[in-house]
Amino acid sequence: MSRFFATGSDSESEESSSADEITPKAPGTTFKQSLLLSDDEEDTKRVVRSAKDKRFEELTNLIKTIRNAMKIRDMAKCLEEFEQLCRAFLKSKTIVDKEGVPPFYIRLLADLEDYLNQLWEDKEGKKKMNKNNAKALSTLRQKIRKYNRDYETEIAAYKENPQESADEEEEKEPEESGSSSESEGEAGDEGVTAKVFLKKKPAAEATSEASKFLKSAKGSGDESSSSDEDDDDGEWGSDTVGSGSESSDDGEGKSASLAVVFLKKAQEGEKTSEKKKDVRKKRHKKKERLEEEAEEEGGEEAEGGWEKVKGGVPLVKEKPKMFAKGTEINTAVVVKKLNEILQARGKKGTDRAAQIELLHALAAISQENNLGQGILVKIKFNIIASLYDYNPNLAAFMKADMWKKCLDCIDELLDILFDNNNIFIGENIAEDSENLGISDQPFRVRGCILTLVERMDEEFTKIMQNTDPHSQEYVDNLKDEGRVCGIIDRLLSYLETKGSTEEICRIYLRRILHTYYKFDYKAHRRSLGLQGETKSEQDQEESEGEDSAVIMDRLCKFIYAKDRTDRIRTCAILCHIYHHALHSRWYQARDLMLMSHLQDNIQHADPPVQILYNRTMVQLGICAFRQGMIKDAHNALLDIQSSGRAKELLGQGLLMRNMQERNAEQEKIEKRRQVPFHMHINLELLECVYLVSAMLLEIPYMAAHEFDARRRMISKQFHHQLRVGERQPLLGPPESMREHVVAASKAMKMGDWRTCHSFIINEKMNSKVWDLFPETQRVREMLVRKIQEESLRTYLFTYSSVYDSISMETLSEMFELELPTVHSIISKMIINEELMASLDQPTQTVVMHRTEPTSLQNMALQLAEKLGGLVENNERVFDLKQGVYGGYFNRDQKGGYQQKQGYQRDQKGGYQQKQGGYQRGGYRNQNQSNY
Amino acid sequence: KGGKKKKKPSNNKPLMQTKNEHKSVVLKIIKHYQEEGQGSEVVQGVLLGLVVEDRLEITNCFPFPQHTEDDADFDEVQYQMEMMRSLRHVNIDHLHVGWYQSTYYGSFVSRALLDSQFSYQHAIEESVVLIYDPIKTAQGSLSLKAYRLTPKLMEICKEKDFTPEGLKKANIGFEHMFEEVPIVIKNSHLISVLMWELEDKSTVADKHELLNLSSSNHLEKSLQLLMDRVDDMSQDIVKYNTYSRNLSKQQQQKHQYLQRRQQENAQRQSRGEPPLPEEDITKMFKPPQPPPRMDTLLIAGQINNYCQNVKEFTSQTLGKLFMAEALQGHNN
Repeated sequence: MSRFFATGSDSESEESSSADEITPKAPGTTFKQSLLLSDDEEDTKRVVRSAKDKRFEELTNLIKTIRNAMKIRDMAKCLEEFEQLCRAFLKSKTIVDKEGVPPFYIRLLADLEDYLNQLWEDKEGKKKMNKNNAKALSTLRQKIRKYNRDYETEIAAYKENPQESADEEEEKEPEESGSSSESEGEAGDEGVTAKVFLKKKPAAEATSEASKFLKSAKGSGDESSSSDEDDDDGEWGSDTVGSGSESSDDGEGKSASLAVVFLKKAQEGEKTSEKKKDVRKKRHKKKERLEEEAEEEGGEEAEGGWEKVKGGVPLVKEKPKMFAKGTEINTAVVVKKLNEILQARGKKGTDRAAQIELLHALAAISQENNLGQGILVKIKFNIIASLYDYNPNLAAFMKADMWKKCLDCIDELLDILFDNNNIFIGENIAEDSENLGISDQPFRVRGCILTLVERMDEEFTKIMQNTDPHSQEYVDNLKDEGRVCGIIDRLLSYLETKGSTEEICRIYLRRILHTYYKFDYKAHRRSLGLQGETKSEQDQEESEGEDSAVIMDRLCKFIYAKDRTDRIRTCAILCHIYHHALHSRWYQARDLMLMSHLQDNIQHADPPVQILYNRTMVQLGICAFRQGMIKDAHNALLDIQSSGRAKELLGQGLLMRNMQERNAEQEKIEKRRQVPFHMHINLELLECVYLVSAMLLEIPYMAAHEFDARRRMISKQFHHQLRVGERQPLLGPPESMREHVVAASKAMKMGDWRTCHSFIINEKMNSKVWDLFPETQRVREMLVRKIQEESLRTYLFTYSSVYDSISMETLSEMFELELPTVHSIISKMIINEELMASLDQPTQTVVMHRTEPTSLQNMALQLAEKLGGLVENNERVFDLKQGVYGGYFNRDQKGGYQQKQGYQRDQKGGYQQKQGGYQRGGYRNQNQSNY
Repeated sequence: KGGKKKKKPSNNKPLMQTKNEHKSVVLKIIKHYQEEGQGSEVVQGVLLGLVVEDRLEITNCFPFPQHTEDDADFDEVQYQMEMMRSLRHVNIDHLHVGWYQSTYYGSFVSRALLDSQFSYQHAIEESVVLIYDPIKTAQGSLSLKAYRLTPKLMEICKEKDFTPEGLKKANIGFEHMFEEVPIVIKNSHLISVLMWELEDKSTVADKHELLNLSSSNHLEKSLQLLMDRVDDMSQDIVKYNTYSRNLSKQQQQKHQYLQRRQQENAQRQSRGEPPLPEEDITKMFKPPQPPPRMDTLLIAGQINNYCQNVKEFTSQTLGKLFMAEALQGHNN
């Protein structure tokens, strides 16, 4: 920052305004921030110092305890503390390397050694000491002797001039006492290097103390405190005459009333800073060791000087004061000023709120002075950027009001952009090729509106993630989604005319992401037909808009054609599928999924895309279910449901796990991936759909393969639920959704479709699950029909052995299905060789062949199989025996023999298997021919 | 009191040829099972009697009380002693001559039975175990069998050597583990009279239990049990297989080692150096722990037993079926 501002300094208004702005915040933070703002370089300095401080404070504390222990002759304590001190000193090695060994440390070493020697000599005292203490004493003495060897020179130097240090010490004890006296003491201690370090801490404390009562005094206090800070900085870096004078000067300031302080500063601001400059220069010469630091300080001092002064007159509120009176305000000046403000950006101590205010003020100025839209756009960009910067932590979410401010800003920016066709913005425009001022040429501004909007959208998501979804607040926040969509739409139309295809793709994706999960009720109503006409005017108007399906189609197709980054396309496809599935366009959705081959390589995608994929698969499964494609539904949902982590996979919540598996960091990341509540897929619906489809598949399958030894499970989860149901000691009427499905499954096992139906579709289940579908009635009808059909199949599987023949009419009555349906189901079963029967056309009856093996026969077959295994194992034992004899002396031969044997065995096994197959087939054939 | 029959061979020939049983003992066993045993649960009790010449006469019995895990302090031996003392007081035969046990579809050949029978036979030389099959009895034919361990098996049990080698040396197969002792049941005349009377009174349906044609249930159960045993057997064999493979591998290593050692020694000898010291080879090659084979043997015995049962049952059932067919043909 230029020295001009530092000295010229009538930009107080900003400081004051910022101070005003901040007042609603907690006073403590206000103070700190404004203090920090006043010169950020000092801040970087502060970091160093605070680390140093911390270390040194640790050391001094330890020293204090040692001295106390010395006083009471507690040698054990002394030893202990000394060891700790050594450790602490090692830790602060980096700082010590930079600063030299702190004098207080040396002093302690010297004192301690003297003290120990003294004790050692004192034989009387030693005798009186208890054993522990005596032991500690000898150890400590040895230790310190060894240790002090490294610091001989320093200790010698100290011993030459122990007086000052003693003074020092006295001062140090009453640390809380007035800082002014201390600073005076310091002033006296010129020329002793040792002193500087010691002073540093008290000085810092003095600062904080000063700030404490400054804060309580008035808002303007920060000025003086910052000046204090500066002085301190100067001081602990140096021991020059200049700094001495300065600090004494300072002490005066403090002891005098505050008003005096800043009065003086305000008047003599220039002078002071000039003086300071001198001081700085002197320091440069004098202290090579701290050269760098001092330099920094010099710069910061200058900067600090500017802001400090401006803060000094808090009540002046004229905005133009940002610039010197009479300065002609033109683009160049504003840009310069803007850059100035921006330089503070991202630095640690910057008061972000104040910065935003500054920018706003600047925008107002430029507007007032008709500097043209170019500069305004530029400033707006920066305002938005600093709004985003307001929260330094990426994980934290913006406050809703901040975000709304940002929203307004973007809106305004878009207004400007729409109004002025001659503004070009882009990230690729270099800073120096910008054209902000010359209005007859098109403006060129660096900046990317798209990124800002994207960030805004992300912040919106974050806000939603961090709001309790069951509160009114969430609803209120959600209402803003309309505005977000509006902005995205506007930007979309803007970019369509001006942006590159990549940008268009990106904004399209944003639009898609805001569309895909919403059910289009308008289109739905329209597709239902005439109802729309009777609606009121407003509804009519509403339904004028484009169907979301059409929009999705248009946007997605553009992305498919133009996008070059894989990720955007993948997301677009998934959203498209999701949207199709949501609106029950099953075939389109399925075809798109299959064509995209996403299933093959989705595991390489990043987690958010995987979550989207999971959501899409689930939606696809639910869609298939609505369409009556039970098998497809089951397959689509299997992956998600079988893991039992549906919640996690869909990004709808974290599972409780022990902390070993996931540390806090991971948890944060996972939390960031969560889908906002309004986009959630109902997990109970999901599970119900899955279980019902599993039931419709599994129960007939179980009935068909009752005796199959190696029956595989279609759905593990479903079996698990069944087992849980069986384990209940007392079966009450079903309560939860799962219990309903289990009860229904039991009914279906007996072929009792009516009970099954009543369990699956009743009021409880309606309210829990089925009413969540858009076309509830249709889904229910489909479900009933499926239940009837599958119950019929189950019935035939289970009880076919009891019948010789059964009339189809009876069946159709039993299951309330039409005759042709029954006919087709049975035909299908016969064709698939699931049911050994034939249809007798004239009498409309099913004639059973009774060729299924009975349970006894099944058992015998199983036993035969097992015996086969036993024999095989036995033979292996035999082989081994043979092999041992054959190969004991000739290994080659043995290997060959064994191999051959193995081969034979395999062959035999194969043959046996084949035989088994034949036997079964033969058995059936025989029986059939008998029939 | 109880009647008596055949002879027990002289003491140096401990094979018991016959065993006499009192009807009341049979009834008591049956009653015990009816009252306390159900399903696959097993009831047990003590047989009392005396040796007369070359036969063992069992004249009385009493059941072991069912006791749950709760009363752990229940002392079975104490109970037995008490019981026998009481019986002695009333002047009933009180000599311990064995024990009885019920069975479920013929499964009784187990380690537990082997162990307890061994201890009985070890302590009281003439002990027998009576196996009562309630299911077969319910089908109309009383099934009661008496078993003793063969002297060979007694030897093995005494030595507790169940390794493959040990069993091989003993040359024992599952067929030679148990010997069945023929049973003769004697009634007192009064009981015979009662039985006749009862038979006279009972209805026709009661008497034709024997002619029950249903078979699949019994067979299924048997097959199920048989399958389980076959599975066990398979596992055992696999275990044994691994063992023998490990053993042979080690043998090979040992052999190689020895050969190498020999060669080295030969070389050393040619160079005139002293041969390498002998090391303890068994320490270097610890043979793998051989799996106990007794269980396998028992399983084989059990499988054999099941098979006998099934065979018996099927032959009977077949006979019945043919008879039924013939009857039907006759009726038609």
